[in-house]
Amino acid sequence: MGEDDMPMDDKAKRMRDLLSSFYSPDPSVTNTNNPFKFASLDVINTTSFDADQYMNLLVQRSNLEGLLQKHVEMAAEIKNLDTDLQMLVYENYNKFISATDTIKRMKTNIVGMEANMEQLLDKACAKFLIFIMTVQSRSDGVNTSLFEKREHIEKLHRTRNLLRKVQNLLILHNESICSWQYVSHMNFFLSGIEQFIYDLPARLGKCIKSEAYADAVRFYIGAMPIFKAYGDSSFQDCKRASEEAMDTIIKNLQGKLFSDSESIQARAEAAVLLKQLDFPVDSLKAKLFEKLEQSLDGLQLTHEEIANVTAESSNLSEQGNNTESIPGSAHGALVSEFAEAVRAYQVIFPDSEKQLIKLSQDLITKHFEITSDYIKKWIPIANFLGVLRIIWKDVLLIDKVLHEALLPDYSSKASRIAVRQYIKSTFSHLLHDISDALTNVHIKPKEEVDEHPLVVFLEAGKSSVLQGSMNVLLDFRQLLKENLGGLQLSDLIVDWVQEGFQDFFRALHDQFHLLSGKNKSAVQDENSTKGMQVEKVVPGLVLVLAQLSIFIEQTAISRITEARSHSTVEIAAYFSGGGGGAHENGPAFVPGEICRTFHSAGEILLQHYINMRTQKITVLLRKRFTAPNWVKHKEPREVHMFVDLFLQELEAVGTEAKQILPHGVLRKHRRSESNGSSASSRSNSLRDDKMSRSNTHRARSQLLEKHLAKLFKQKVEIFTKTEYTRESVVTTVVKLCLKSFQEFVRLQTFNRSGFQQIQLDVQFLRASLKEIMKLLLTFCLMSWQKRRNRLQFLHNQRKVKLVKLLRHPPAYCGGKMI
Amino acid sequence: MQGGSSGIGYGLKYQARCISDVKADTDHTSFITGTLSLREENEVHLLRLSSGGTELICEGLFSHPNEIWDLSSCPFDQRIFSTVFSTGESFGAAVWQIPELYGQLNSPQLERIASLDGHAGKVNCILWWPSGRNDKLISIDEENLFLWSLDCSRKAAQVQSKESAGMLHYLSGGAWDPHDVNAVAATCESSVQFWDLRTMKKTSSIECGHVRNVDYDTRKMHILVTAEDESGIHVWDLRMPKVPINELRGHSHWTWAVTCNPEYDGLILSGGTDSTVNLWFASTTSDELTSGSVVASPSQKLDPLLFSFNDYEDSVYGLAWSSREPWIFASLSYDGRVVVESVKPYLPRK
Repeated sequence: MGEDDMPMDDKAKRMRDLLSSFYSPDPSVTNTNNPFKFASLDVINTTSFDADQYMNLLVQRSNLEGLLQKHVEMAAEIKNLDTDLQMLVYENYNKFISATDTIKRMKTNIVGMEANMEQLLDKACAKFLIFIMTVQSRSDGVNTSLFEKREHIEKLHRTRNLLRKVQNLLILHNESICSWQYVSHMNFFLSGIEQFIYDLPARLGKCIKSEAYADAVRFYIGAMPIFKAYGDSSFQDCKRASEEAMDTIIKNLQGKLFSDSESIQARAEAAVLLKQLDFPVDSLKAKLFEKLEQSLDGLQLTHEEIANVTAESSNLSEQGNNTESIPGSAHGALVSEFAEAVRAYQVIFPDSEKQLIKLSQDLITKHFEITSDYIKKWIPIANFLGVLRIIWKDVLLIDKVLHEALLPDYSSKASRIAVRQYIKSTFSHLLHDISDALTNVHIKPKEEVDEHPLVVFLEAGKSSVLQGSMNVLLDFRQLLKENLGGLQLSDLIVDWVQEGFQDFFRALHDQFHLLSGKNKSAVQDENSTKGMQVEKVVPGLVLVLAQLSIFIEQTAISRITEARSHSTVEIAAYFSGGGGGAHENGPAFVPGEICRTFHSAGEILLQHYINMRTQKITVLLRKRFTAPNWVKHKEPREVHMFVDLFLQELEAVGTEAKQILPHGVLRKHRRSESNGSSASSRSNSLRDDKMSRSNTHRARSQLLEKHLAKLFKQKVEIFTKTEYTRESVVTTVVKLCLKSFQEFVRLQTFNRSGFQQIQLDVQFLRASLKEIMKLLLTFCLMSWQKRRNRLQFLHNQRKVKLVKLLRHPPAYCGGKMI
Repeated sequence: MQGGSSGIGYGLKYQARCISDVKADTDHTSFITGTLSLREENEVHLLRLSSGGTELICEGLFSHPNEIWDLSSCPFDQRIFSTVFSTGESFGAAVWQIPELYGQLNSPQLERIASLDGHAGKVNCILWWPSGRNDKLISIDEENLFLWSLDCSRKAAQVQSKESAGMLHYLSGGAWDPHDVNAVAATCESSVQFWDLRTMKKTSSIECGHVRNVDYDTRKMHILVTAEDESGIHVWDLRMPKVPINELRGHSHWTWAVTCNPEYDGLILSGGTDSTVNLWFASTTSDELTSGSVVASPSQKLDPLLFSFNDYEDSVYGLAWSSREPWIFASLSYDGRVVVESVKPYLPRK
């Protein structure tokens, strides 16, 4: 308004002063220093001018000539002032006219608008808003926040009311002289709006350049109503241009939203802006979510990572406790990135929680799935713990971001399952190792002429059982020490381990039976697949298994129990307490029961071994005795081949037994012991028997009949309980075989030659087995003598009836006393 | 589990393998047994348990021309029995009748009703249908199965049909299904074969090696018990011939003879070459077995061996339940000793 920079003469200056005094309601401001300067005559230019006083002063001070001159001056000045005033009025009138024109133009528009009052108000408001904003942006140059905007709106509201008043004023009172000021204001607003709209594309371009997208969007949104109203007419080009600009902005914003390099705030802002622009955000959301999901794939634990974990954790154990370094792998970075992304996503799309929860749970589930896969492959405990730690770390990271997912609960459940699975798989691997140790070893060293292959198996088996279970215990102790994110697992782990041991030994027991081929079909399968070799090796294996069972019963169990109780006091307490929940979950580890199981298993296996061995010999004997026609047998020429085979088999038994089984005490002692409690009466009487024999020799005359009666009432206990000594096993085998021999002989009828052949064979056998089986051979020999041998017939079986005994006393006693 | 000499003993003169319950004698508990002596004159003893059950009385003693390898009493006529005998070189089989007035004669001779000639190899056994009067007889030798039609009044036996067991099958014994007059089980080396007598064809078989003895459960259909050399005793349900429904460990040496109690379900007696007789209680219902095979608790798994009678001097080859007093059985060890025992004290409490 004030264009006072131009140089002026005094006159003009005074004019201006006058005019300004006219305009300004308070002239004191302009004339503050005048009263002192023009105390006398210059008062004329002040508002406090008093004509009478001035005239008196003039008359008093001036002479006539001076008065006349003053008159002339005054007249000229008045004239000048008049013209100036006229000009001013004219000018103002001109302005007024132009304003009126503008108003008229406006009015025509307004008239159109008046039909729709709402629209009018909106437009007015929009225009005013833009004006205000422009002013604001210019004056502040500061980014406008929402809060500021609200202020603007309030201002807008006030101004709208004002504007309405102005309009009313304009319409109702055109002629009012004062109103021209407002008109000029209005005029200026409108030109400002026009200016703003025309500038908009350029401004937007600038914004794009400086990446001030927020401003750009604000501008554009501000201009939107105008474009809506006049976009088709006056601002067409502008609109197109700014729309183009906005397209680039949208594109940029989208790019920004998807670019990982941008900060989250930036991306969130971008999303907000896009939302403001009515851009289809849902598809963006879906896309972004897809991206998140894709990033999940990258997060999967891979084998390499687990290997890394091993390396790291081994480093860890070497270097000391630097727990922080563990998740410092690429994986950790990825996960934290993921967590960030999730957080961003959550910020950007606040309604997406459910999806995110599901997503993160999926992640954890996948983690655990992978872990369980690895568990199936079996990984060392350090690895397992490492993986668990990683997972737990991930969980914590994500939990920070996404607390509602309750990931800790979820993952603690899952890790419980994983730990349990791990324990189970550890035991199954242990089992597998043991059976491997037994089967592999027994297949492999066929060629190597190892002197004591069975010892190797046995040792391998023993060590794998003992060492394996010790290792397992150590592992589990480590597991116990590990506090996985405060999971209260130790109770459960203890229970599980106990259960695991119980199951393990049970499974081992079954495995032994399976290996021993107790199951007939299994044996057949094995035979069909592995052929002769297995058939040959299996008995030895069975013997090994029997011995191993005993080892487990006597040593391993107690060692394991001991080891368990030697672990930390706490754990020991748990173990000895048997664990509170043990009974709910399943059977706890009961060493006694396991011992019993293995004890019986050992017996069964030993029996099985003996059976297998005797079966082979039985087959041999069966062939021998069923094939030839004994009635038409020819004179014996040599000892039959079967004796060699028989001895060979026995030798095999002997070597196997020698390798594995311990020496027993002397046979006679053992015999009396082996009768044991089961037949104590009999063993006593056996001793009596021996005594009576010597007695008969010493005092034959006395009580002969009674002793004889006693003697023949006794029978020799052939089948005693087998023990884990080589003598016991060998003699049992021999006994059984000779018994079979006897039975086969009984089933046949021989001619003299046939009988002689058998006699020959037996004599040979007897010589070989003399020290072992004197008694039984005697027994057998007698029974053969009944057949076809009319000359040598001896009634060799003991009878109850003494009468019968006495009928053939010499023969009988002789037979017995050999 | 070790038995004292609670039984009632009776000594035969020579070694012996076979003993049979005289089922047709409904007034007394009697058994018939024969000796196995190549050189001496063999005897057939008819034994009767005294009314007090304290003594075995020799009711009759008859000489038999050859050593007796198998003997079975006719289930419907107490005076008739069959034997399989060997001269040492060849085998024969015959049906005999105890003479009516044997008590009055000094040396009563057995009357040979029919001789079952026509066997080539070793005759294993002669089977009577256990459940009642039937004019058919079955004899099994190593290669063939004979079905005889016996006419006691005319004292004649005729081969009704004969079928070879087939190449490479050496029969060793058999049993006649008490529930089905047309079904016979014959044992051979590697299996138990089932024959239909109407067609004289094999109907099915059970894979099971070296069966020494086989017996049908007289109480339950489809149940068969086998005794094997090494693997003990198996109980089979013929409807499920793949797997035995029960398994008993048998004897420390071969299990030679096995017989089911005619009255008590699941009560099985076995004799073995380890000179013992074992009394078993084995469930013969398959559903119990399935639960038994998955045995978890030790309490559930009772020892099936009720008692072991081991007061024998030699292998026990002959076993027979008394059908009149089903808690009594007779056992015969190779040394010729007959022991009659009661299983009453050992029965499980129900």
